[in-house]
Amino acid sequence: MSTTPVHNQDLLESPDEEILRVESLRKHFGGVKALQGVNFSLKRGEVHALVGENGAGKSTLIKILTGVHSMDGGKIFLNGSEYQPENPRQAKAQGMQVVHQEFNLLTHLSVAENICFEAFPKTRLGLLDRNEMNRRARAAMEAIGLSDVNVSDSISQWGIAYRQLVEIARALQSKSQILILDEPTATLTDRETDKLFQIIDTIKKQGVTVVFVSHHLNEVFSICDRVTVFRSGESIITEKIADTTPEKVVSHMVGKHLELEMAHNFEAHELGEIALSADRLRVPQSPHESGVSFELRYGEVLGIAGLVGAGRTELLRSLFGVQQIASGCLLRDQSEVVFKKPRDAIDAGIGFVTEDRKEEGLILDMSIAENSSLASIEQVSSAGLMQIGRENELARKNGEVLKLKYGQLKDNVSSLSGGNQQKVVLAKWIARQPEVLLLDEPTRGVDVGAKAEIYSILRSLAREGKALLVVSSEMPELITLCDRILVLADHQIKGELAPDEFSQERILQLAYKGN
Amino acid sequence: MTATNVKVNGAAKSSRFSFKAIIRDAGIGLALIGLIVIFSLSSEHFLAANNITNILTQITINLILAVGLTFVILIAGIDLSVGSVLAFAAVVAGKAITLPGLGPTEAIMLAVMAALLAGTLCGLLNGLISAYWGLPSFIITLGMLNIARGGALHISEAQTIYSFPEQFNDFGSASIFGIPVVFIVALVLVGIAWFVLHKTVFGRMIYGIGNNEEAVRLAGHPVFWYKVAAFTICGLTAGVAAIVYMARLNISSPIAGIGFELNAIAAVIIGGTSLMGGRGSIQGTLLGAFIIGVLANGLILIGLNDFMRQMITGLVIIVAVVLDHYREKYTKV
Repeated sequence: MSTTPVHNQDLLESPDEEILRVESLRKHFGGVKALQGVNFSLKRGEVHALVGENGAGKSTLIKILTGVHSMDGGKIFLNGSEYQPENPRQAKAQGMQVVHQEFNLLTHLSVAENICFEAFPKTRLGLLDRNEMNRRARAAMEAIGLSDVNVSDSISQWGIAYRQLVEIARALQSKSQILILDEPTATLTDRETDKLFQIIDTIKKQGVTVVFVSHHLNEVFSICDRVTVFRSGESIITEKIADTTPEKVVSHMVGKHLELEMAHNFEAHELGEIALSADRLRVPQSPHESGVSFELRYGEVLGIAGLVGAGRTELLRSLFGVQQIASGCLLRDQSEVVFKKPRDAIDAGIGFVTEDRKEEGLILDMSIAENSSLASIEQVSSAGLMQIGRENELARKNGEVLKLKYGQLKDNVSSLSGGNQQKVVLAKWIARQPEVLLLDEPTRGVDVGAKAEIYSILRSLAREGKALLVVSSEMPELITLCDRILVLADHQIKGELAPDEFSQERILQLAYKGN
Repeated sequence: MTATNVKVNGAAKSSRFSFKAIIRDAGIGLALIGLIVIFSLSSEHFLAANNITNILTQITINLILAVGLTFVILIAGIDLSVGSVLAFAAVVAGKAITLPGLGPTEAIMLAVMAALLAGTLCGLLNGLISAYWGLPSFIITLGMLNIARGGALHISEAQTIYSFPEQFNDFGSASIFGIPVVFIVALVLVGIAWFVLHKTVFGRMIYGIGNNEEAVRLAGHPVFWYKVAAFTICGLTAGVAAIVYMARLNISSPIAGIGFELNAIAAVIIGGTSLMGGRGSIQGTLLGAFIIGVLANGLILIGLNDFMRQMITGLVIIVAVVLDHYREKYTKV
């Protein structure tokens, strides 16, 4: 089996031939509808972009195409016959290859070993045929235009960018009709991105169809032939790149009707003194010397919008002392503070509702009461002894404030719904009565009803004079909740919006400006 | 897409979980009762008063070591060094107790202090090193296993130390209503450990760290020191076990305690504490130590030789871990 592209002939014969067609594809996870009727098609040899906000359904579609998830309804046709892979292996066997955002390489093995990992060549004795393996690996790398590579080198010596290219070479090395690149440029520099684009061009000429998932519209417009826009689990429109503009694409992503639904429905109110401010604060991951500067006042809900990878979570983690800042300074009540560990931030009256409640927020095997008191254990203990009565009282009181729905306080938090779990995370911090509350994706995986309740809790905290900093990927959430929105892209603040300027389009324009 | 995070129908699941929890906790006790019934039916000696005293004496050291190990395993750590630390503490204490010119009471006091100090120190080092560098405690305590054993051999010049004060040996062989005093000491330790794990902030943090270290850290707690403390407690119990060892056998041997760590770990695991941390109990450890002790005693009484006994004990460990796997599976879903 030599290198790939199998259908050069077909391509020449019928350049507009449809290779894949997806019809009203549906998929739900529990009660959440991830895909509700997706239609789209791919032509042989085209580069087709999938765009949409986080959670619009792109990843779910890819996972169904590559056999990771099964579909709940609808049909997929590959080369005219029905296609329903049961697992990733079957998908690969039919020429559906994917390069994920997270790498699937074996760090300590060589380039050649990584490329041939799915099917090692063997000698007649059943041993690894190293020469054949290296030959195949060289051929695979040459196919994407990288001929000056020593395939015996360990992958670990390579940078992120080249690792990605190795993944592409591996994907293409077996029979490939469709290559899906999921956010391939997220971690690449401009020069590396150019290299990637050259490679996409090469493989496109070989007749492989490329699906390009990206948040970066400028890239979409520079290499893609067509674009399909996703929104809330639906495919909105497919357009030829030549017939559209980035502005049109953004407005499809946002959707006009949505904009009417969400309203910034509270009155302007007096803000207090500056509670927390950052001055040229730079997180270690940021490539920019200048860092970010902002001020957060008591009584204010300040939103931070931005795409995945814009540096939002890193910023919050630095503000809370989870990771050290690289340069710049942080001021609490207008005097400089250095947080070496979360305890320092907590002692300065800051709370942090983390992004991932399962990994960082909750102790799933522990009870509602035990989780509620985790950050304020000194309130419910004396001389190192737990005061269970006081703990239950605290949990009961905060549960009431947060309208928490539960069976018993001693039930494990894992028994609660997502929304109620998130309320327990909030309860944990509210128990400390922090002056400043940092929130990372405060309503992720939470149903609409619980969302509204969480919003009203957060607004009432602000009315009480607390300062809130909210990071969210959901623009309607920020628009509903915030007094002011900062848009972050590439670890820099690209713009600041006042309530009368709030709109998804405006946020997205600024968010995409970073690239 | 985080849709997979969404959980539905929580109430039904929680009641199922607690039902399972009852079965699970009772399960170990039922297994122990089953063993006792089987052995008492197959051998008339099994329930004889002196045999019961025997069993209690035999499980004492393992139980004491297992109490300390429960703390370490609850934070998803492991301590392989307890057997060697026992020998090291015993040798240090043996040197102290045989110092010339001491009265019996002074000598015993000094020996007890020395053993506790030596054990605590070893545990403290295990904890400091593995927590500071975030290294697997498996490797660090494997190192300590060799260091402590080498230390014991070096200090004692590979000689057994003996001729301790008589009162010391009296303590080791004393019993109240057929219950060995040393076993009562072990039970007191179990009681203290239960209190610490369930009634104190420290105990809460031990379970919390085992379940989700990051959540505990982000809530502002000094995870590092809690981890160090767990290992230090484990070292301390190895020191206590060393004292019991000396009092029972009236000697300090540098080759004492070889392989004891494995029996103690087995007791903790059979008792239902998860090697992944965060889940388990000291009551379980008590039952686990009993199961190992009853098996060892009963299998010999019914005429199996020591090699077969060892094979069956091994089998029980494997069965316990397989059951642990299913527990994890059912409760995590």
